[in-house]
Amino acid sequence: MVSRRAFVGAGAALAGVAAWSKTSAMSLPDAPIMEDASTQPPLAPSAGPDYNPVVTPNGWTLPFRMNNGWKEFHLIAEPVEREMGEGMTAYLWGYNGQSPGPTIECVEGDKVRIFVTNRLPEHTTIHWHGMLLPCGMDGVGGLTQPHIKSGKTFVYEFVMQKSGTFMYHPHADEMLQMAMGMMGSFVVHPKDPTFMPVDRDFVFLLSAYDIDPGTYVPRVMEMTDFNMWTMNTRVFPNIDPLPIGLNERARVRVGNLTMTNHPIHMHGYDFSVTCTDGGWVRPEARWPEVTIDIPVGAMRAFEFDAHVPGDWALHCHKSHHTMNAMGHDVPTFIGVDKTSVAKKIRQLQPDYMPMGTKGMADMGEMSMPIPDNTIPMMTGWGQFGPLEMGGMFTVVKVREDLAKGDYSDPGEYEHPPGTVAYEWTGELPMAAKAPDAPVKTGSLEQKSATPAKASDHSGH
Amino acid sequence: MALLLKRVAVVTLPLLVSGCVSADGGFEPQFGFDRVSQETTAKLGKETVWIQDRNASGHVRSRVRSLVQNKTISADTAVQVALLNNRGLQAAYAEVGIATSDLWQEGLGVNPRIGITASRLGVARTIEGVISANIVSLITRERRLDAAAAKVAEAQLGSVEKTLAVAAEARTAWIEAASAWEQVAYLNRAKASADAAAELASKLGGTGAMTKADQAREQVLYAELTGRTAEARLAARLAKERLVRVMGVYGQELDFEVPNTLPNLPRNVRTRNDIEAEALRNRVDLRLAKIELEALATSYGLTKATRYVSDLELGAGLEVEQEITENEDGSTSKKDVTSGIVELAFEIPIFDSGQARLRKAEFGYMRAANLLAEKAVNVRSEARSAYQAYRSSYDIARHYRSSVLPLRKLIEDEGLLTYNGMITNTFDLLTDTRERINSTTQSLNAKRAFWLAEAGLTSAIYGGGETPSGSGAMVADAGGDE
Repeated sequence: MVSRRAFVGAGAALAGVAAWSKTSAMSLPDAPIMEDASTQPPLAPSAGPDYNPVVTPNGWTLPFRMNNGWKEFHLIAEPVEREMGEGMTAYLWGYNGQSPGPTIECVEGDKVRIFVTNRLPEHTTIHWHGMLLPCGMDGVGGLTQPHIKSGKTFVYEFVMQKSGTFMYHPHADEMLQMAMGMMGSFVVHPKDPTFMPVDRDFVFLLSAYDIDPGTYVPRVMEMTDFNMWTMNTRVFPNIDPLPIGLNERARVRVGNLTMTNHPIHMHGYDFSVTCTDGGWVRPEARWPEVTIDIPVGAMRAFEFDAHVPGDWALHCHKSHHTMNAMGHDVPTFIGVDKTSVAKKIRQLQPDYMPMGTKGMADMGEMSMPIPDNTIPMMTGWGQFGPLEMGGMFTVVKVREDLAKGDYSDPGEYEHPPGTVAYEWTGELPMAAKAPDAPVKTGSLEQKSATPAKASDHSGH
Repeated sequence: MALLLKRVAVVTLPLLVSGCVSADGGFEPQFGFDRVSQETTAKLGKETVWIQDRNASGHVRSRVRSLVQNKTISADTAVQVALLNNRGLQAAYAEVGIATSDLWQEGLGVNPRIGITASRLGVARTIEGVISANIVSLITRERRLDAAAAKVAEAQLGSVEKTLAVAAEARTAWIEAASAWEQVAYLNRAKASADAAAELASKLGGTGAMTKADQAREQVLYAELTGRTAEARLAARLAKERLVRVMGVYGQELDFEVPNTLPNLPRNVRTRNDIEAEALRNRVDLRLAKIELEALATSYGLTKATRYVSDLELGAGLEVEQEITENEDGSTSKKDVTSGIVELAFEIPIFDSGQARLRKAEFGYMRAANLLAEKAVNVRSEARSAYQAYRSSYDIARHYRSSVLPLRKLIEDEGLLTYNGMITNTFDLLTDTRERINSTTQSLNAKRAFWLAEAGLTSAIYGGGETPSGSGAMVADAGGDE
């Protein structure tokens, strides 16, 4: 799905020529554009040292070309339309057609040259987050370099000093440009291919947007109250799963560019953090975890051996972050009998549906019309029913019969017979009682949640 | 307008003196009326009576009953019943009867007859207009320049204005009543939404999910709306009572309803560029005042009208006179008016005052002439105002209907979608609904303003509006002076 868009704009072309004349007589490298939000297959290195490429769920990897020993990439900062999920598109800023931008991959010791063309209406820069490089390549507009004005192309050149997991993002009008979705992953593989090898290597960025239901553009001034909590700018139920073959070793690299921390929890397995954006964690410094907190502006890579098949949820453990757009002012209707109220409201609003009296699960089952360009707060269906999830939620799918390098969705897990929780229809055991306890006729059903005395108190 | 036009009706009423005086001078009270009744029956298959005796009274009563009892009445029906049944109107007619009897005693016969037409818009616009036109032509034709005739004219003036006023008042009262009930209906809907919110709030209180203050906020809204609804219902009842008074109904006849809604706005409104001319031609009070001015002249002995000037000229002439004193320019030149202005001008007869027996009489006459000119100026302005009100209130009402309400509807529809998405809550939804109802109420007010302005247009063209005529006093003065 990579397309090649011809350069437009004399300014950009001229700037490119000017920059290029210092280093080579050749033209700018191609700037491929991605038009699809689905997961693209990993991109095996076409030149230079070999490595096992990463997979970016709902993302892609930027191709490079070799030029006199330099790996050359071309990023285009531009407005993009990103499909966050089916039926919901966000108007963001990103790189090469998508937000997040393409993952850049290279190898420790590589000489890397990255062209950055600015097609945004305002200036930008790129900061290479977590990398040690010549200070003038650090990408802080005003501090370490002049801004890249609209229509201009700049070149970053540096040598990869260490391997690990990094990010790139603007450092010019940074608050706005990051709120608009400008970011990407940057993976540097070890020079020694036998160092920390894995069979499957995934990378994604956590980002958050405040897009009012029915609108398309994020409210960039928001600091806390976001409603789209995304993995690679994608929300459940449309985040592609992480397929892993049985007994494969897998690594998941997670970066956080939201404004809050995210406790990322994977079901089933325990795992160890083997890498941060600071570098590899020595084996003696690791400890087993099932949830790792990803701080703001940090990356964590965790590894595990996938030795138990199944559909294992992987999600942020802040429960609001596994929801899509919701109202924080909706009162709790649990236990409120809305029957008569609903009758009254229907006289004015015939399509009114009472909700939330038993809980909110009915929301997951009912598919009522909601505003345009909005994904329901809780949604998604599995083989046993509604998942009632959203936001930062995906599934690690460990399968026995998964071919090497096959990253397509293997579908729902076929549980071996007798291994799924089931309904008990027999007699319930008697509850243990103290010998002299008063006899009560018990009912399993919980009485109404309504505190019966509430109304009595009103007379006080 | 559809409601008002249900019936194409020509009702001929024995206004004032029909049949009181026969052509040959014999006093036969039923003569003229029989003629009226025959005509009415032929045209309408309906009968009318001038209430002169018990029999006629019974007739009117049963006719009124058949028009209103257990019915939801239209504005036209209300006007028709008022004209048939309003006792004040009958009293005014009786005044004319008395005056005419006196005149008959003087040996002068008049045989006026008044037709009332309630017909489709555009043909003969209103009942009121036709009545007035007929009366005026009658008076003009039968003018008798003596005291008895002046008294007749005075009584006629009274009854004409009363007729017009009663008709206008009936129409206005009907509009007010229908509009008031429409408001009540919409307030009831708003109340239902507040009621739902209040109940929901108290249930949330019951489950422990809402503070007392927040519950009270929802409940006070409901309580306030209940108050407003009660006020609106009272206003509606009072409006209907006003209509009842104008229609002069009581007892079993009260068993009628006014529609709960005003008619929709017409698709378009008439452009009336000639509204001033029309008013000058038709205003009853103006034309009667002119007749009275001539009567006044007669009473002063000014028998021959030497020329006619328009109200425009008269005004201009006065200005010139004021300038004379300052500029020593004594010549008063008479300007010919263009045809366009003639169309618009109201002609005032100027009698040759050279023969005036008294200087006082001349001043008295000029005072009256200028008062008449003032009246003509006012009538023009009233006509323009009425037309402005008619046009603009139409545009305003349309604006509410085609711009404000669709936006409110959209807000409410989107509100339901965000509610469905658990993005907003039930209270937000109900607030949107209430706000739509508020806008609807404003829209209803605008619609009422239009229909009132529409009725006001009739009064502005034909008279009988709220502007006092005041010309009756003039005649009395003249009579006393003689």
